[in-house]
Amino acid sequence: MKKTLLSAIVLVAVTAALPWVLGDYGVNLATEVYIMAILAMSLGLLMGYAGLVSLGHAAFFGIGAYTVALLGPAIPSTIVLIGLSMVLAGIIAWVTGMIFIRTSRFYFLMITVAFGQLIFALIWQLKSWTGGADGHKVSAPLDFGFGEMGSPLALYAVMAVAMVIVYVFLRVFVNSPAGRIVQGVMDNENRMTALGYNVRFYKVLAYTVAGAIAGLAGSLYAYFNLFVSPELTGWMFSGQVMMMVIIGGVGTLMGPAVGAALFIILQNFISSYTERWPIILGALLVTLVLVGRGGIVHWVGLARTKIFVRQKEASLQKSSSGHLYGK
Amino acid sequence: MSLSILFVQILTGLAYGMLYFMIAAGLTIILGVMNVVNLAHGTFFLIGAYVAYTLVSKHLGFWLALILSVGVTAILGLVIERLLIHRVYGKELEQVLLTFGLTFMLSDAAKWIWGTDIQTIPVPRVLDFSISVGSVDFPAYRLFIVAVGGALAVILWLLENRTRIGAIIRAGVDDRAMVTALGINVGAVFTGVFAFGAALAGLGGVLGGPLIGVYTGLDGDILVTSLIVVTVGGLGSWKGPFVGALLIGLMDTLGKVWFPSFSMLVIFLLMVVILLIRPRGLFGREVAP
Repeated sequence: MKKTLLSAIVLVAVTAALPWVLGDYGVNLATEVYIMAILAMSLGLLMGYAGLVSLGHAAFFGIGAYTVALLGPAIPSTIVLIGLSMVLAGIIAWVTGMIFIRTSRFYFLMITVAFGQLIFALIWQLKSWTGGADGHKVSAPLDFGFGEMGSPLALYAVMAVAMVIVYVFLRVFVNSPAGRIVQGVMDNENRMTALGYNVRFYKVLAYTVAGAIAGLAGSLYAYFNLFVSPELTGWMFSGQVMMMVIIGGVGTLMGPAVGAALFIILQNFISSYTERWPIILGALLVTLVLVGRGGIVHWVGLARTKIFVRQKEASLQKSSSGHLYGK
Repeated sequence: MSLSILFVQILTGLAYGMLYFMIAAGLTIILGVMNVVNLAHGTFFLIGAYVAYTLVSKHLGFWLALILSVGVTAILGLVIERLLIHRVYGKELEQVLLTFGLTFMLSDAAKWIWGTDIQTIPVPRVLDFSISVGSVDFPAYRLFIVAVGGALAVILWLLENRTRIGAIIRAGVDDRAMVTALGINVGAVFTGVFAFGAALAGLGGVLGGPLIGVYTGLDGDILVTSLIVVTVGGLGSWKGPFVGALLIGLMDTLGKVWFPSFSMLVIFLLMVVILLIRPRGLFGREVAP
């Protein structure tokens, strides 16, 4: 709890200080980073704490974004609209999760890809309603009851606050009894079953929480970008979010957020030089997979063990080998 | 709907199903033998189709283009396995990332080389005619696809069950250590299997080109379709992807006729229903973790 509070304070201090250092462009970029960090943290919860490798997580992001885009004209309250995005994404995650979680790992990966493509195809095909491939404008104003927040700095503040809240919530969740059980299930499903836990329930719980938070990220993105398109739900975007999680490090909450920052900054940097940024980013990813086991957060951990050898060697070893890597 | 139209729709569904089988077979063998989730599989399809398109437009003729592009995808698969994939055996997450990174690169490279317009490979001249079924015409090329798919299914089954290499592969899946101890170079077998799987995707790309065209984003569509086929049919034998592909091909075609806006939903619901009853697909057995 103390650690959570400390990291939250550091996060608040950093996000509050950043606008003084960054220019207009930087503030805008940081705002996008915060939204993607929320999305990446929610996938990080699934992959790193529940052992569920989903390649369709962007579907929930898209559901949140399209909820704001389509219902914005009908529902003026931002709080209600964002809440609705989360509830809708959460319910869909809960229902689909109950089906998906029955399958084994390979099937889970494949079925989540298919689910993401389903949402993508539905948005694409329901053209008269969603705008199809042309996308949809977002006309809902961002207003929490004290005036419309349209300026870049106001948007920055909203997204920063949202990110800190999500981080603290996820930290509390993974340290809660339910969160501990979720991690226990990832470590050894049979043991948890033998202990009498309803393993399936806790997996679905993690999937639902992750889905709802991805929905939140999507709705925030709609307010930020003022335009949504089917690509937000596609498997390519899901793959990019997975890239963010792995670049940062699986098995932590801060890792995916750091990965999101790095990904967005790299993407912006490279695409300002060349249109062919996917080739370069893809090559970087391939290189990272081959040489950089465990992601940035684990490198920091590794460096720390090198410097403070005796400090909690066992616990670091556990986190840096990672359950998802090798056997 | 008249009976002959329904018959033609079923034939069309069968043709798509056989095409899906060609592609899903490659994915299945790589997943089943090597336990590698190959997200670049759709990319091999795309590249096979694009290379064939280029060769055909250079007046090389469809059949030569077919052989050459299948060769190109096989070599590409071979190189990728030797350089990259063999480093991540047994690491599921790293395979996903590596093959996703490859997809990212290769599909952007394809966009760079061939542009973003939809291209079509013309139907080979010998097959460019229609057969009348009752009151409607049915393109002969689709019958050809059905024939190739059927022949491929038989060949794959014979390869697996009647040849030494098939025996080695089956044994390698069950007990790799034992096969290695027998002095068989499992690494080389795996390289061959990966190249073979890539070639199957390439073959699908060339033969599918005249049917569905070649366009940016096709790699993703094909990957998703073949993932659904494998999920529905189940891993572990050829029967799974074969039946799965025919089922998906038929449902997709009929779904497009009956519910044009929701054809994807039809397939997805079919998948969900099957997985609810059989979580490992229709004919699936658990693959080694």
